[in-house]
Amino acid sequence: MASDVKTRTKTASRRNQPPPLNNYIGDRKPWLSNTRRRSLTGWGFLLPAALLILFMSFIPMAQAFVLSLQTGRGTRLEFADPLWYNYERLLNDDVFRLTLTNTFIYLIIQVPIMLALALVLANLLNNPKLRFKAVWRTAIFLPCAVSLVSYSLVFRTLFANDGFVNDMLMSIGAIGGPINWLGQPETARFVIILGLLWRWTGYNMVFYLAALQNIDQSSIEAARMDGANAFQTFWYVTVPQLKPMIVLTAILSINGTLQMFDESWALTQGGPAHQTMSMAHYLYEVSFQKNPNFGYAAAISYVILMLVAILSFIQMKVGDKRD
Amino acid sequence: MKRFTKLTAGALVLAVPLALTLTSCSGSGGGSGEGDGDETLTVWTWDPAFNIYAMEEAEKVYQEDHPDFTLDIVEVPWDDLQTKLTTIAQSQAFDELPDIFLMQNNAFQKNGINYPDLFSDFSDSDIDFSEFPQSVVDYSTIDDVNYGVPFDAGTAITALRTDVLEEAGYTVDDFTDITWDEYLTIGKDVLAKTGQPLLSGQAGSADIPMMMLQSAGASLFDDEGNPTIVDNAALEAAIDTYTQLVEAGVLVEVNSWDEYIGTLVNGTVGGTINGVWIVGSIQTAEDQDGKWAVTNLPKLDTVSGATNYSANGGSSWAISSTADVDLASDFLGATFAGSTELYDTILPKAGAVANWIPAGDSDVYNEPIAFFGGQPIFADVVKFGPEVPSNNTGAYYYEARDAVSTAMTQIMGGTDMTTALEEAQANVEFAME
Repeated sequence: MASDVKTRTKTASRRNQPPPLNNYIGDRKPWLSNTRRRSLTGWGFLLPAALLILFMSFIPMAQAFVLSLQTGRGTRLEFADPLWYNYERLLNDDVFRLTLTNTFIYLIIQVPIMLALALVLANLLNNPKLRFKAVWRTAIFLPCAVSLVSYSLVFRTLFANDGFVNDMLMSIGAIGGPINWLGQPETARFVIILGLLWRWTGYNMVFYLAALQNIDQSSIEAARMDGANAFQTFWYVTVPQLKPMIVLTAILSINGTLQMFDESWALTQGGPAHQTMSMAHYLYEVSFQKNPNFGYAAAISYVILMLVAILSFIQMKVGDKRD
Repeated sequence: MKRFTKLTAGALVLAVPLALTLTSCSGSGGGSGEGDGDETLTVWTWDPAFNIYAMEEAEKVYQEDHPDFTLDIVEVPWDDLQTKLTTIAQSQAFDELPDIFLMQNNAFQKNGINYPDLFSDFSDSDIDFSEFPQSVVDYSTIDDVNYGVPFDAGTAITALRTDVLEEAGYTVDDFTDITWDEYLTIGKDVLAKTGQPLLSGQAGSADIPMMMLQSAGASLFDDEGNPTIVDNAALEAAIDTYTQLVEAGVLVEVNSWDEYIGTLVNGTVGGTINGVWIVGSIQTAEDQDGKWAVTNLPKLDTVSGATNYSANGGSSWAISSTADVDLASDFLGATFAGSTELYDTILPKAGAVANWIPAGDSDVYNEPIAFFGGQPIFADVVKFGPEVPSNNTGAYYYEARDAVSTAMTQIMGGTDMTTALEEAQANVEFAME
């Protein structure tokens, strides 16, 4: 029957198309329309996490900022006069300036070496013809899984005056007498940088390995066929394709190094007279070990935040330039 | 079918987060708080071999007259204890406090002045504070009110290896009641004859100069709380002597606490100067049994008011503000401030030397100690106790001590002493703003 055909086609066509957005009953749009329901569902799922972040992170951050405008000892805090008194005080604090210098030394020396090393290692380990790849990758990544305090303590014992490193160097005749690694500022900083390198190279290497999987092998083969040697392939073909990952790891490393605490605390305890102390360690000292001055400590934490924000911003601007 | 899945999904969405929240809730809510029940007190302290052991023995002593009494002792290392107290005081969560806690004497003024809400005072108790040496009681006295019962004596001693001295032709008597100049001379001689330094210390730690300073009755702060790091004759003499000791090789500097103990236990050095609590660590070297002796400190002869006695460290029991004050002060008064039986018990096992002067009269204290060649060292130390001059720590003690450590590192590196000390004073004044 003709009418049957029409109904069948209409049903069929209705099934294959998405439901119309305005299929409401009556002539007024109900408040809970489909669009609204979908967006409300989305917000409903986001709400618990958003509330948690608001109360656990953002509100305490705002409170910390208010705290950094207050001054006083212990619980007798009141607003400073002028309001930015703590920040002014920071600029005149010799110890803070020293910790700032220390942290920047670690940043400038350790981060580039670590990232370059991680990049080279990742490239080497990505070689399809390499045997026991899993063993190498695990071995290089394993230092990352060790607890920060444990490895700091072990490094401290290794580099003690009668520690393993001195014994080894003396037995192969490289040095005449034991080097006082942790007693002099330069060597103590060197030990911290060494520890940081040992620990975090594997971590960044894994990031680069992951990124390398996404590189088109044909681009590398093309370079090889055009006569590029290993280094030129690496530098001109692989690295530019890894740019986003390099920016990411650089931001993470800068963030981590600026907030470094455990090495300064467990390895050198701030080193000979604050010479290896990091900013975060100084913050802890001001809060809990010396006379508690929480307003000042909050100001230090905000300075660290501003430094991380500025450096990350610069990173992203430089990194995304050619994208 | 579709409806069933939707229902299950909805139920799961509600149930799973709820279950997770409840499991996380169950852990908290068990803070120590006040003594629950009539006769229980909570105690926070550190070191199982020493402080906790002493508390357990005190509990037994008190239970003889009060059978229902119990103690709940929680082990908390000092660094953690200090952090906990600061956090509790800042967040005003005073019901988290225990009844009694132990506090380092050096930190007492800082905590008492900054956070008076943490403490209860002893003005209503029966404890006779004159039975303790004045210098130790002063640590826990703020504005003439007592806030702590002294416990662990930080009385300083010179501990020496008698076999090393014999090899160089000296005895312990050559080190008793001497001056630092004489110590330096003998030390150089011992070094020349036996190759062993007489002292070791942590580089950058101001322990030994601070002991020298206190032995001369001087402090880093004056009575008004102003720092007296510059124009402090005793401090300059102390740092000068320290520098000479290091340059002569009589004092060897190491980089960490473990290394310092290592020098004693491994026999690298022929002695040490520290609080009497160091004997516990010395006695772990069983192969040196019978080869040690103890005497008093050399004095800074160029400074007026110099004595042969000093102190390093030491701790006192404090009662918190939310505690059962009557019970706690009665307990402390009957045990740590009133029981010779307690001190007799803890001395042999833990080497815990009493600050409480009447305890020194007992026979246990006069027993010869084999490790120290039969010398009754504890009786000697209790005699040293009352001679120790007071030390004004003030609230900024740790800042000043750190500043002096930094100055010392600079002076040993060649900086002029006056410049380094002026810088130290400026740093402390900055920290006091």
